[in-house]
Amino acid sequence: MSPTPPPSRRSRTRRAAPLVLLGLFVALPPLLLTRPELEDYSQAFVLVLAVLGVSILTGTTGLISLGHAVFVAIGAFSVANLLDAGLPVVLALPVAALFAGLAGIVLALPALRVRGPYLALITLGLTIMFPPIARRLGTLTGSALGRTVRTAPFDPPDFLHLGARLHMWNYLVCLVVVGLWFIGARNLLNSRMGRAVKATKDHEYAAAAFGINIATAKTGIFGISAAMAGTAGALQALIDPYLNANDFDWNMSLELYSSAVIGGLGSLLGAILGVVTLTAVPWLNDTAGLLDNASLAFGIGLLIVILVAPNGLAGEIQRLRTRLTAGRTKAPSDADQPDPNNLVKRGTTSSEA
Amino acid sequence: MDLFLQRCFDSLFNGAIYASLALAIVMLFRSTGLLNFALGEIGMVGGYTALVMLSPATVATSAFSVPVVGAATAARLPGHPFPVPVAVLIGVTMSALLGAALYYAILRPLKGRSEFVTVNATVALLIALAGLTSEIWGGRNLDFPAIFPDNPDDFVTFFGGRLRYTTIGAWALQLGLIAMIATLLHKTKTGLAFRAITSNIEAAPLMGIKVDRTLALAWALSSGLGALTASLVAASTIMRPGMMVQVLILAFAAATIGGLDSAKGALVGGLLVAVAQTFIPAYTPLPTELAVVAPFLAMTILLMFRSQGLFGTARVERV
Repeated sequence: MSPTPPPSRRSRTRRAAPLVLLGLFVALPPLLLTRPELEDYSQAFVLVLAVLGVSILTGTTGLISLGHAVFVAIGAFSVANLLDAGLPVVLALPVAALFAGLAGIVLALPALRVRGPYLALITLGLTIMFPPIARRLGTLTGSALGRTVRTAPFDPPDFLHLGARLHMWNYLVCLVVVGLWFIGARNLLNSRMGRAVKATKDHEYAAAAFGINIATAKTGIFGISAAMAGTAGALQALIDPYLNANDFDWNMSLELYSSAVIGGLGSLLGAILGVVTLTAVPWLNDTAGLLDNASLAFGIGLLIVILVAPNGLAGEIQRLRTRLTAGRTKAPSDADQPDPNNLVKRGTTSSEA
Repeated sequence: MDLFLQRCFDSLFNGAIYASLALAIVMLFRSTGLLNFALGEIGMVGGYTALVMLSPATVATSAFSVPVVGAATAARLPGHPFPVPVAVLIGVTMSALLGAALYYAILRPLKGRSEFVTVNATVALLIALAGLTSEIWGGRNLDFPAIFPDNPDDFVTFFGGRLRYTTIGAWALQLGLIAMIATLLHKTKTGLAFRAITSNIEAAPLMGIKVDRTLALAWALSSGLGALTASLVAASTIMRPGMMVQVLILAFAAATIGGLDSAKGALVGGLLVAVAQTFIPAYTPLPTELAVVAPFLAMTILLMFRSQGLFGTARVERV
């Protein structure tokens, strides 16, 4: 679902514009922001990765996970314990992501047998039960008080001349890791597996008839999606080395899911827009002094998106672009952009109860 | 033996709570096939309303609360503060109206859209209503007065076990409600319409059945039950935001164990979940917090391999 109109010489400049914009958003903050601001900015980056995990899962398979905070937590606590065990950060990060991915594969087992709403129920139950269970895990999670992450040996290499500006080094690490995942996700969506999974969502039995192994496809995407969330958790543990199991609660899971829906499911741009919304709504609310708690506004926003913009903000932007460029180049019309939700409907009627 | 009996009696109260919310889930599932994730929060609105009707002094928290649904407004009602049963009834009515309104405002426009969209809508409602209640009533813990006499000596003794009035009251209420709902479903024309929609929603309107009105009624009944559950939970513990989320998951487990479309199953499931929650910490080394894992695992496994639960109807789907 990434917005890729057919390439032409004219559209090349138009396609370059968002990349330039993205470049500015990536390159300017370390130069302009203060230390705490840059830390917040890195966290938003990391959040985008977690939301992208949710978005890819639901956008391609139509499976609803209301429990991705659990994978974020697995990533975060894994990295903390792996660093304790003496692993260097460069190894601990991928291993933590792998752990989260394996947990995702385990959760994919019910997902293979259970239809959408029931998987939502199971994952919601999982995320509600996670903090009480994690509080019982002793030194692994630091019980009820939480724990700190020992990131001490992870200093910037000398040739970067960053010195003690650890926040910039952290930002750079987040940038590279998140960037790698973005490229990976983009390729995944256009890969054989990505297409196979999307075909599964459109019509499960037809896809099976074309030789697609539904179980492998769904399990694979679930694992990758969980690994993304786990990487996000691991990065977050590096930026903010204080972890408490209570922070990875159902509120976080619902925030991740609703950001993915608001932004636009299965879309890279959507994950970014979702996190922008998730950050902007409370900020606007605080600035304007409207509500005690922004989740009312966020929930209503989600409802509005569901009612009027089934493809999320990214879908709306795509539609606007199509309208603006119509007549100049032969761009795909609205009719070529099927409503993903209706595809889910057809997919689910054929699956087992 | 006495201790065993006592534990059985203790789990009965939680059983009533899970059973009543499971019943609410079943009511809605039978008519619409929908899992309503916002049910707990809809119930919270009724629970808080009941609290406002009971005791104005404890509830005024933020500047916003007073002009909206706050204590000052409620205090102008004749007869305020109301006795507990009346206040709970008002809360239940409030939730029922909210449920029906939500059906007309949100779920009906989504008719014909996929299951995926309706699930998203209930998730959005869960977030929005949780925000709304904490906005109006603040995030603090509030005392909710006992609905049934609940002093330390309010119990009757059966074979050496103490059965508290609260438990008896909760179950009397529960059984009374089930009798009422059963009468509604099987003796009235509305109930006939209800069952017709359950059996075939496409054909029902062709038979002159007013589908919207009936589904709104299902939403109202389910939401009202949610408010009753929220009041019972608050009366036995404390009124606090987010308290219904875990109750809702356990009620979903209860409903799944019983079979999502069986009222009898909701009762049995509710009891089983409560018994598991009491007996697992009592007879195994697992701590109390982990007792909820067993019902959850049971729910997951049942959904995977036997989605009709104990008493539900097996669904056959055509490719």
